[in-house]
Amino acid sequence: MDMDKLLSFDWGLMAPEFLILGTATILAVLDLFLPKKINRQVLGLFGLAGIVAAIVSLVFLLDNETGSILLETFRLDSFGKAFKLLLLTGAGLVMLLAIDYKPNEGMEEYRGEFFYLFLTALLGAMMMSSSGDLITLFIGLELLSISSYILAGIRKKNTASNESAMKYVINGGISTAITLFGMSYVFGMTGSTNLRQIAAALLNVDDSQQVYILGLAFLMIFVGLSFKLASAPFHMWAPDVYEGAPTPVTAFLSVVSKTAGFVILIRIMFTVFTALPVDGEYSQTFLFANQDYIGFLAGATMIIGNVIALRQRSIKRLFAYSSIAHAGYILVAFSAMSFVMFEAIWFYLLAYLFMNVGAFAIIQLLTMKEGTEDISHFAGLYRRSPLLAVAMAIFLLSLAGIPGTAGFIGKIQIFIGALMVSPAHYVLVSIMIATTVVSYFYYFGIMTQIFFRPAAHHEKIAIQPGTAVAIIVSAAATILFGIMPQLAYGFLESNFKAFLDFLA
Amino acid sequence: MEIAWLIPLFPLLSFLVLLLAGRRLKEASAAAGILLTLASLALSVYVLIERLSGPTFKAEAVWLTIGDLQLTAGFEVNQLNALMLVIVSLVSFLVHIYSKGYMHGDERFPVYYAYLGLFTFSMLGLVLSPNLLQTYIFWELVGLGSFLLIGFYFYKESAKHAAMKAFIMTRIGDVGLLIGMILLFWETGSFEYDEIFAAVRGGELSGTMITLTAILIFVGAVGKSGQFPLHTWLPDAMEGPTPVSALIHAATMVAAGVYLVAATFPLFAASEAAMMTVAIIGAFTAIFAASIGLVQTDIKRVLAYSTVSQLGYMMLALGSAGYVAGVFHLMTHAFFKALLFLAAGSVIHAVHTQDIEKMGGLWKKLRFTGPLFLIGTLAISGVPLFSGFFSKDEILIAAWEHGNTTLFWLAVIAAFFTAFYMFRLFFMVFMGEARSHHKAVHESPGSMVWPMAVLGILAIFAGYVNTPWFGTFLGDWLVEGNSALGHGHVEGPAWIMIVATSVSLAGILLAYLIYGKRAISRDGLITSVPLTYNVLKNKYYIDELYHYTFVYGAKAVSLFLRFIELFLVEGIMKTVAALVQTLGKTGSKIQSGQVQTYGAIAFAGLAVLMLIFALTGGYL
Amino acid sequence: MSNIPVSAFLALALILFCIGLYGALTKRNTVIVLISIELMLNAVNINLVTFSKYGPAPSINGQVFALFAIAVAAAEAAVGLAILIALYRNRKTVNIDEMNQLKH
Repeated sequence: MDMDKLLSFDWGLMAPEFLILGTATILAVLDLFLPKKINRQVLGLFGLAGIVAAIVSLVFLLDNETGSILLETFRLDSFGKAFKLLLLTGAGLVMLLAIDYKPNEGMEEYRGEFFYLFLTALLGAMMMSSSGDLITLFIGLELLSISSYILAGIRKKNTASNESAMKYVINGGISTAITLFGMSYVFGMTGSTNLRQIAAALLNVDDSQQVYILGLAFLMIFVGLSFKLASAPFHMWAPDVYEGAPTPVTAFLSVVSKTAGFVILIRIMFTVFTALPVDGEYSQTFLFANQDYIGFLAGATMIIGNVIALRQRSIKRLFAYSSIAHAGYILVAFSAMSFVMFEAIWFYLLAYLFMNVGAFAIIQLLTMKEGTEDISHFAGLYRRSPLLAVAMAIFLLSLAGIPGTAGFIGKIQIFIGALMVSPAHYVLVSIMIATTVVSYFYYFGIMTQIFFRPAAHHEKIAIQPGTAVAIIVSAAATILFGIMPQLAYGFLESNFKAFLDFLA
Repeated sequence: MEIAWLIPLFPLLSFLVLLLAGRRLKEASAAAGILLTLASLALSVYVLIERLSGPTFKAEAVWLTIGDLQLTAGFEVNQLNALMLVIVSLVSFLVHIYSKGYMHGDERFPVYYAYLGLFTFSMLGLVLSPNLLQTYIFWELVGLGSFLLIGFYFYKESAKHAAMKAFIMTRIGDVGLLIGMILLFWETGSFEYDEIFAAVRGGELSGTMITLTAILIFVGAVGKSGQFPLHTWLPDAMEGPTPVSALIHAATMVAAGVYLVAATFPLFAASEAAMMTVAIIGAFTAIFAASIGLVQTDIKRVLAYSTVSQLGYMMLALGSAGYVAGVFHLMTHAFFKALLFLAAGSVIHAVHTQDIEKMGGLWKKLRFTGPLFLIGTLAISGVPLFSGFFSKDEILIAAWEHGNTTLFWLAVIAAFFTAFYMFRLFFMVFMGEARSHHKAVHESPGSMVWPMAVLGILAIFAGYVNTPWFGTFLGDWLVEGNSALGHGHVEGPAWIMIVATSVSLAGILLAYLIYGKRAISRDGLITSVPLTYNVLKNKYYIDELYHYTFVYGAKAVSLFLRFIELFLVEGIMKTVAALVQTLGKTGSKIQSGQVQTYGAIAFAGLAVLMLIFALTGGYL
Repeated sequence: MSNIPVSAFLALALILFCIGLYGALTKRNTVIVLISIELMLNAVNINLVTFSKYGPAPSINGQVFALFAIAVAAAEAAVGLAILIALYRNRKTVNIDEMNQLKH
């Protein structure tokens, strides 16, 4: 590849990625050379500015035709744009929390790293949402994972943080190996790493042995990626890691990392395995024929997440299980594969982003103040700070899926999607509804603490500006998208045209 | 009618204002709440008057487009809505006033009014909804308001439990409603009532689908209206402040289930099986709850069971194609039951206990509450010329004319029970000696008495809008222009009215003999007039006879049903809860903190999937 | 070389993967666990290189993929060891079964 060829690419398509990469690099350099006494929180603001700039550049790219550069390895289609928007928004809100995060023992010497590692992780997630090649998908995935490992363990002197990082690395390593093993079979059967070439090659696969091996590869890739989604069977790391990691990192893992997991899952599954015919017949593709596996795991995930959450005393563990449960809900939409699947998943992730980050913002405020993470710290929150209590109530209601909030719209669309396909997924929908009812117990358990229980003490809670912004934005968005979901759907409709270019 | 959408916004405004400024307003919050609810009431009355002459008004706009699916939002004013608007805003307004006195001195006074506003907003929104989705949204919000208000006295452990229980139990019903609603949407392509009914008329839905969706919607109504077997939350919900019980758990929210069935009546009417289910559940609940009411000793719980029982009557009416009878009873019940609860609140306010064993002899001390309570009791017992008489009569006629003979007699027996336990309550509370020494007992302040007086007048006269003697104005108006709802008035045999009246009077007489007669003996009638004494003595034997046979029999049945309630219904609930808890415990135990276990479980999952894949030859 | 069947290479990779998995799930010493994970990743590399040379559709992409996988595995191992050192400083142990502060 010579220079001319290199310059002939439309690098503008990668502008958001370049902005994040540039910001991360500059932060790293600044952190190295700035004198020790300068407060590193400025770097966080700088990182936030980088994210905002990336969002702006992405908005300018929205009208662009679908294009690809670097020999089809980087592909900016409407799917990539839509999910990148989610990733960037989520990361921006998490950055606000990170700026205000102050653990007890202090973290001055590695404050700078804390910020730019978020950016590199974000970069990995963004690469995944736009990549058209197994290699870049893998690199993006690992960039995200490795950055998150360090982030989880960034409180070097805190044993819980160390342990959570260690557990994350070990489980992450195993999941990477399993995913890669599956990918190697996909490569072996098709001789290509480019997703579209793989799809083209798979159309001609008629050897039943090869289909069989690809079936095993499908399961391995799915189970390997379920690590990122924190869904069954690779969900067990989540509670431990969520509990030990610093709160902004927990928020990042449960929002951005999960979104990225769904991005890569859809990318691989929908380009590769929809192309594979079943028994040489083109009427049914492999993915549709095997959606029951996904449905089965979705059901298991919802049950595990919601049922074990009932037993939790630590608010962060509780939210880990709740986050497992929500991954299950989204998997229902995925396994139904209705024609509104993309919209349903996108909207649910959007709603989930706001309600979860908002809730974590409040959790961070309370746990930093009290030093421990027991649910009882929510007792009497309504008396101590009515506004915080009302905001938390909004997030909890939305997580529980009560009408008037974004969570409700997201859920109802998943229901409609799962019932509109034929055969309809009655079993999955029933499990989803039943486990949703179970989830009321723990969500409303927190509500009871907030509203119906006297406070242990009446100390006021000081809210830092960054956290305040995150809470206000999240609460407003949760209500707004709950009452006027048309805003989001209209945006989706006018800018992404039903994701028709995903396969084209 | 174009401005009907403003009606729910006033209480919403009240909620928001009190939420933000409640702390500063203190008890002045009541004024804000009362004025804004008054605005709602005035507008509701205006809309009703306009609707009396005008046609149905409907306005809507596209709310959400997903692909080809379009969902709309808007509001509709038809006969049923217009009537419900006035009932809800009127009772809410009166409860707002009443609470000013009742809640006086409570440190969370503004919060209470804020919650009331939230509830009233949701309830009015529910009533105005022209489609199932919107109904469902407000349906949930109403439940949320109820949750907050039941748990208002949060320092009581029982109140917290009751709030959770009410929320979860009604949610079980809501799941049915949600599924039914989505199925209907999927079959007809719309959530709009009009379009669903049109599809039903046009035969687009198969008979099974109509029955299935109707029963699923009915499950939602069962949860909300406390019908068997999802009724257990309602008596527990009495942990909330008494005015709240009057508003939510007697007059409005629990009637929402009946309202929902009435609003989707054409769907039910298209399925004989669904109608039968509604009628049977209704009749059974009516007699079941009434018999439990016989042995309760908590004044509010007696009223709660009576609410469950009366709601059962309404369901029976609807299930017997008595649309008008059901809606008519919904209206009269809203007035006399709200009256009874407010009067009970006034009694509790005066004596600071809810145990009727500890009351007695309050008639003279509570000069206003007593007569007002008596009016409510007479109305609910179906004594002629009171409102409950006319509506109950309509229901019995509907059941008889529909051919449900068994259900008809069940309803008659339930009417007898109702008269009996209500007068038992009345005699034990107001007559006889005071059974415990209270500190000075005072009548409640004017802000509490006046709302009761208004309801008292309505409890007497509200029935006259639809009588066999003075014209069936309400019935004719309700079914106007919609043949699917049946006739405005059904002529029934005259003996039904006589039977109904005589069982009511028999129930009252029995209650009097057992619980009221001590008042007579104290008056010295027995000793001074030997003849009367003998008669009374004979009656006394009858009374004893009744006491040992019938009353004990009834008590035994009642205890047996209570047993079913405790062990069967609650037992199933508890088993499910225990199962979930055990699952949670086990799952939590597996989470041992050993990272290798986590990896092993993930790998085991993969292995199982691969095994299934291998065994099924690749395809499920 | 060419008279060794493809299935032998693939079987080798599978066995290596399973050994790695076994080690990762059973060894007490965290360093060994990390090494076992490396084994699993290297099994993948054998697969990739085999397919790239003898697969049904041979292409050079597999070897490129293997190079990337090696680089990423190295990074992952480095981070894993770094975290282990931090943990060792606080806990004075590298035994994986003693890392059970976070549970239930």
